[in-house]
Amino acid sequence: MLADSCSMSSPERMSAAIATSSDSTHAIERFLREVERRALRMAEFATANRDEALDLVQDAMFGFVRHYGARTPGEWSPLFWRVLDSRINDWHRRRNVRGRWLGWFERGDSADDEDPIAAVADPGEPGPLARLADGEATAALDVALRALPLRQRQAFLLRMWEGLDVAATAAAMRCSEGSVKTHLSRALTNLRSHLEAHR
Amino acid sequence: MNTSQKEPWIERAVTLLDKSTESLDAATLSRLNRARQAALAQRHVAWRGWVIGSGFAGAALALLIALGIGHRVAPQHMLNPAAVEQGADADALATDDNLDLYENLDFYVWLDAEQPNGND
Repeated sequence: MLADSCSMSSPERMSAAIATSSDSTHAIERFLREVERRALRMAEFATANRDEALDLVQDAMFGFVRHYGARTPGEWSPLFWRVLDSRINDWHRRRNVRGRWLGWFERGDSADDEDPIAAVADPGEPGPLARLADGEATAALDVALRALPLRQRQAFLLRMWEGLDVAATAAAMRCSEGSVKTHLSRALTNLRSHLEAHR
Repeated sequence: MNTSQKEPWIERAVTLLDKSTESLDAATLSRLNRARQAALAQRHVAWRGWVIGSGFAGAALALLIALGIGHRVAPQHMLNPAAVEQGADADALATDDNLDLYENLDFYVWLDAEQPNGND
């Protein structure tokens, strides 16, 4: 009798589980669709390379779905950014290790990438980004964001662009809330000075 | 810091960042789509494995429970003739009259032997 009742309810349980899975899969897909472009831009600021940025976003999607897909949707946002932040940090570590080995051969090349004239501020202009057309402003913002240290850039993007609060940003960056405030404050100062140079 | 407290240049920066996501080329959007679908497909496989595995585990557990309960319950409900006879003997022995009979069996044998003389 007991065995019968269990075998009878098992398909119902399976179909219910599959239905629940299907619903949550659609919810995750909507969430990923909503954040993927910003994630790509965030990774692109870190890598300065679209293909590598796409790889990082794909890794982040896989990691997020595998580890946090079963969490409630309200928890997803900081968890996704946490996974992406982790992937970006790993990418930076790998690049630093590779840079130590190859640095001797590539020494002297980086000096050509920076334009010393672009870094000179013009004190007569009203404010950063104020008089730039969208295209120029976007280019200036890209340069300024790429020039920021990784943690400052992540704090700025997660707090200001993604709109996470301090606690969620701290969770995403795996640091204290005080560190988030410090990184953000320094990021704003550095960004302002970089962007004022492009006025 | 909420939106209303942002400085104007930060608001502009955020607007520019939003616009930059709208101008991604088709190849990039396609690759993002494929990455998303691949991540979700991994979830489908994991779910299917979990559901099938838990279904088999549940059926096996139910079978074990059914066998265990059947093994324990069945002897209590089966009527064993020997046990019934033993129960009848016990009932007979538990009656006060029969106990007296067995305890004073010698007396009743003597009484039975004496009765013909008494009748005389």
